[in-house]
Amino acid sequence: MKGRAAWRILMLGLFLAFMLGPILATVLFSVSIRWDRTIWPEGFTLRWWQAVTARSAFQDTLLNSLAVAAATVAVSVALVTPTAYWAHLRAPRAKPWIEFLAIVPFGLPGVVLALGLIRFYSGVPLPLINTPAILVAAYVVLTLPFMYRPLVSALEAVDARTLTEAAQSLGADEWQTLVRAILPNILPGVVNGSLLVFSTVFAEFTLANLLIGTRFKTFPIYLVEFTRFDARQASALAVISFLVAWLASVFIIWLVGRGEGPRETLAAR
Amino acid sequence: MIRGRRRVGWGAWLVLGPFFVFGVAFEVLPILTLVRSSFSTEDGWTLANFGRAFTPMMIASFRNSLQLSAVTAFLGVVGGTVVAYAIVTARRRFVRDALTALADVTANFGGAPLAFAFIITLGSTGVVTLLLKAVGVSLYPSFRIYSVSGLTIAYLYFQLPLMILLIVPALLGLRQEWREAATNLGATRAQYWLRVALPILAPSLLGSFLLLFANAFGAYATAWTLTGPDVNLVTVQIAALVRGEVQLDPTLADALALVSLGVMTACVVGYRWLATRPWRATP
Repeated sequence: MKGRAAWRILMLGLFLAFMLGPILATVLFSVSIRWDRTIWPEGFTLRWWQAVTARSAFQDTLLNSLAVAAATVAVSVALVTPTAYWAHLRAPRAKPWIEFLAIVPFGLPGVVLALGLIRFYSGVPLPLINTPAILVAAYVVLTLPFMYRPLVSALEAVDARTLTEAAQSLGADEWQTLVRAILPNILPGVVNGSLLVFSTVFAEFTLANLLIGTRFKTFPIYLVEFTRFDARQASALAVISFLVAWLASVFIIWLVGRGEGPRETLAAR
Repeated sequence: MIRGRRRVGWGAWLVLGPFFVFGVAFEVLPILTLVRSSFSTEDGWTLANFGRAFTPMMIASFRNSLQLSAVTAFLGVVGGTVVAYAIVTARRRFVRDALTALADVTANFGGAPLAFAFIITLGSTGVVTLLLKAVGVSLYPSFRIYSVSGLTIAYLYFQLPLMILLIVPALLGLRQEWREAATNLGATRAQYWLRVALPILAPSLLGSFLLLFANAFGAYATAWTLTGPDVNLVTVQIAALVRGEVQLDPTLADALALVSLGVMTACVVGYRWLATRPWRATP
């Protein structure tokens, strides 16, 4: 028994060290005067944080990323919520098709989606190429599984059919039913999906890089540029990225409560 | 009687329409465009594009990508299952909850910031590199974080927590009675694992392997931030073709993209099949 306890502590300790080590090192590095010659930082400073956050490009890229993430969430909620509700209740025959569209992004590498979008939209007379609009559209596709799954789980959990019948027997029309009866009940699912979408989009690099690149710089693009010439300032940017992802996750965990089983979490790799 | 039941046909399309239009416009058509251009030339349908796409360099990129995906998926499945088992059998509830939450959070850490965190940790002047040097172990030059072995470590950072999230429900489905029954019949620990637990877990393990494989195969941001163009992966090659860094040959990129899409699709289909089979052992 003692041997098994030691085994468990060893395994969990290694896991903790591997998962927390790089994060803690990055945080510490971002407040170190210098940490590339000695085994402990040569003193601490907030200089790099001040330098990197004072740049106008920092604020621009941060705002760009927040705007793109918020727009993606808005489009995704508006598009997926009525669809999931309607298919769940009224058009079960459409469900396999919706599920198909929501599962394909799992097997769709970012580089392939970017290439397909560029190929198709450079051939049609729509002013979408190289605009933030196509980036938002690509993000909605990429994060479709994250929005769809929590919504379906929420719909299954609240007995949407009874709610609908109750609302309509009280005289609500379709729209009122969705907005006033269903939505408040599936809100945890909507918020859960939204947070996953938000944190994924905020950290996404591949599509941002390939679809619009330097014309509309997002935060991860700014971060990657910085890693090439100033590691200390880049480390402050990386810490901000981790913080956003961490906050979103903590909020989801708090929201969902415990014992929910695995979530769909294939973030921006 | 629910009002509107009679209107299902048209009403349904009014509600579902925008979603399907969007899905077709930004998901289906872009993929079909790649399919069409990979299989066609000015003269008609052909397979020649694929032949042209597989230059020795591209074959090498596929070999690297497949190898990196297989190795990190395998290590992720083994390591993730062991850690997940240690988590679910932990006696304190706090330990179980905190570590599951950690897996939950870190499964979302990826891409550029993660790659950079590994440069700081294991780069040539990285924190751990310096620490090891101080105790007499020099990582460099035999190991480099900016290489395939470095990428393997960085990929494991997102593979491990994903595996833990995927396998914890299956591990919780292993009933105590099965173990007791096996023990009562005289089975040793090893026999219980080999003859009872692993066969029950096998579909979950295999399905998770496929998902982890796809997860690594489609990854680009981590590899690009860490190694730039130095490591020859399929996604790096496709991205270079998209940016027009290499000679402009559109159908080449399209054919490569289609083959990698095929690899990914096979993995996801296999995963779905294993996860939704009616006769699987764990609910």
